[in-house]
Amino acid sequence: MWASSGRALRPAISGLLSAVRRIAGMPDYAAHLEHLRRCHPDRTLPSEREFYEEYVRARYADGPTRCC
Amino acid sequence: MLSRLGWLLLALAGAAAWGVLALHRGETISAAWLVLAAVGTYLVAFRFYSRFLADRVFGLNDRRATPAERLNNGRDYVPTSRWVLFGHHFAAIAGAGPLVGPVLAAQFGYLPGTIWIVFGVVLGGAVQDFIILFGSMRRDGKSLGQMAKEETGPVTGLLAMVAVLAIMVILLAVLALVVVNALRDSPWGVFTILCTIPIAILMGYWMKVWRPGRTLEASAGGVVLLMLALVGGRYVAESPVLAPLFTHSGLTIAYGMIAYGFIASVLPVWMLLCPRDYLSTFMKIGTILLLALGILVLLPPLQMPAITRFVDGTGPIFAGKLFPFAFITIACGAISGFHALVSSGTTPKMLTRESDARYIGYGGMLMESFVAVMAMCAAAVLDPGIYFAINAPLATLGGSVEAAAVTIRGWGFTVSPEQITALAGAVGEQSLLSRTGGAPSLAVGMAYIFSGAFGQGLMALWYHFAIMFEALFILTTIDTGTRVGRFMLQELAGHIWKPLGRTSWYPSIIAASALVVTGWGYFLVQGVLDPLGGINSLWPLFGISNQLLAAVALCVGTTLLIKSGKARYAWITLLPLAWVLLVTLTAGWQKVFAADPRLGFLAHAALTAQQVAEGVLDPARGARLIFNDRLDAVVAIAFMLVTVLVVLSWAREWVLVLTRRKPARVQESPFVETAYVG
Repeated sequence: MWASSGRALRPAISGLLSAVRRIAGMPDYAAHLEHLRRCHPDRTLPSEREFYEEYVRARYADGPTRCC
Repeated sequence: MLSRLGWLLLALAGAAAWGVLALHRGETISAAWLVLAAVGTYLVAFRFYSRFLADRVFGLNDRRATPAERLNNGRDYVPTSRWVLFGHHFAAIAGAGPLVGPVLAAQFGYLPGTIWIVFGVVLGGAVQDFIILFGSMRRDGKSLGQMAKEETGPVTGLLAMVAVLAIMVILLAVLALVVVNALRDSPWGVFTILCTIPIAILMGYWMKVWRPGRTLEASAGGVVLLMLALVGGRYVAESPVLAPLFTHSGLTIAYGMIAYGFIASVLPVWMLLCPRDYLSTFMKIGTILLLALGILVLLPPLQMPAITRFVDGTGPIFAGKLFPFAFITIACGAISGFHALVSSGTTPKMLTRESDARYIGYGGMLMESFVAVMAMCAAAVLDPGIYFAINAPLATLGGSVEAAAVTIRGWGFTVSPEQITALAGAVGEQSLLSRTGGAPSLAVGMAYIFSGAFGQGLMALWYHFAIMFEALFILTTIDTGTRVGRFMLQELAGHIWKPLGRTSWYPSIIAASALVVTGWGYFLVQGVLDPLGGINSLWPLFGISNQLLAAVALCVGTTLLIKSGKARYAWITLLPLAWVLLVTLTAGWQKVFAADPRLGFLAHAALTAQQVAEGVLDPARGARLIFNDRLDAVVAIAFMLVTVLVVLSWAREWVLVLTRRKPARVQESPFVETAYVG
């Protein structure tokens, strides 16, 4: 019973976590991989670390991201 | 029919709440009326005015694919659910501004500020955010500066950029000053805030090196450590050995913050800036929800009068009459030009449907305005005597609690020295006198609300929680602001000599960072040394500059309307533009030229010169004060001049388009039909 309800909850939890990430402006590796697989199947997939570094660098590279 | 009836009832309830606020003068009323009046007005404005803007004026079209759909790259261009994006946008626009401004403006009483916060947002701030978000969405997520350049020309774009840089310098100085006033002689506060630095670095290594990309677990760990640092602060403050190590004067803390700002701007973002950003975002959202819950559960009575005698301009916290200074002091929360930069940053790249822009742009700003109303509530639940003891400059109050109580009683509020001392003891501080800047009085108000709603006895912990949360995100603003300032300076310098424009070239990084830090650091130190407390002169300058940025944004908005053949609707931006210009130019003029030395920079310089001549003031100190007064005057004049130039250059553009000497064409991206169904 636990196992089955845990499985049912999993998508809900990962959806919630990805919403929290997006609200805080954090990178979403899983979503990025999915996008690459769907739209650019020819490209090599970045590692989680590569993606994180590139994302963080780009996010703070121009313009203010937060207000006073 | 039924829904019309519902809206009518809601409108009546809001109007009734305003009536209660207006009629119950001179007696204590519940904060519930303030909240009801605000929320009722927001809902009616959102339902009717924002829909008018969306459908009639902008013509939002859900058949048109958004940048997130067309340019989806799974990274920054990502179609995002409306609610998640609302959270994202709100976290980006809400900061210390809407919390500090209303607390300071409470010196006029709670009513004038609240009216401005609520009606200013509905007709001004939310319209500005919405139209800039709309414009950026139709241009693949371009920034305000890029839009300005494309629609008018490079000179206006450059002017806008210089204006932003100047505003950043003043903004960072005044926010840093708020933190200095909260942390001076406070070992508990200093310890907790110092701890945020190693905590952030730990999180940075966690997310990059040890567990790459695991941002959520690192943030959760960071929040836990932060709470431990908060609790640990009490032991530091009570320890005779440790307390002196963390007890520092305002000047020492100011220099510490300047050094910190420089280091944070030079270090790679993953190490300090990015983890701090995550930490402060979660703390911000959590605390604002907690504050809303506390106010709604407790609905505390408002002790502050609706209108105080200080509307005549004799207020101790900042000088100047209700008009224009209430509208300058509360910038964020009613209308904030800075939002135009954020509205045109990440958010437009994440909208799934065009119609979502209404919820995010207009609705998000209403939410920020509600934060400002809550800050006003937190200030107004304080006993007015206590409020003025915390916020008035030491020179005005007199050096001791006894003298302060006498001064405050002279203003017509009752407070005893014992009350002030007892409150300081209850929140774990030596003294609360003259901690100007909003953060400490907001923290006392929040501590009062939280301990009332969630159980008594933790007053000191709640106070330091509120201080920590505000200092945390002000320091984050200082990190990001210094870095953004550095980028802008590098871009400007790149026009002069190419290598200086390379944002990864170390000599350029160090030189530009040092310049930006020196800029805001100078104003910060000047504020700390100012006998009137610094907030008195710097906050109005910040308010003026932020409102002037709003004028720039509203000009861009008006241009978009006129060029897209919607000139008959241009009043939606021209109306707030006219008001913002009237208010800021009046305030700027008064700050420079008013004959009252408390208000006018030049009059104060003349008074200081006279005091030096009479021998009552040390000449060296006098010379420094005079120089600073003149510098402030020059800054205010420069702000006004830039604004007038920007507005005139845009007005010329409008006339050219309206008289058909220039084609009415906007630079929107071409229409692409959406692939989404439903």
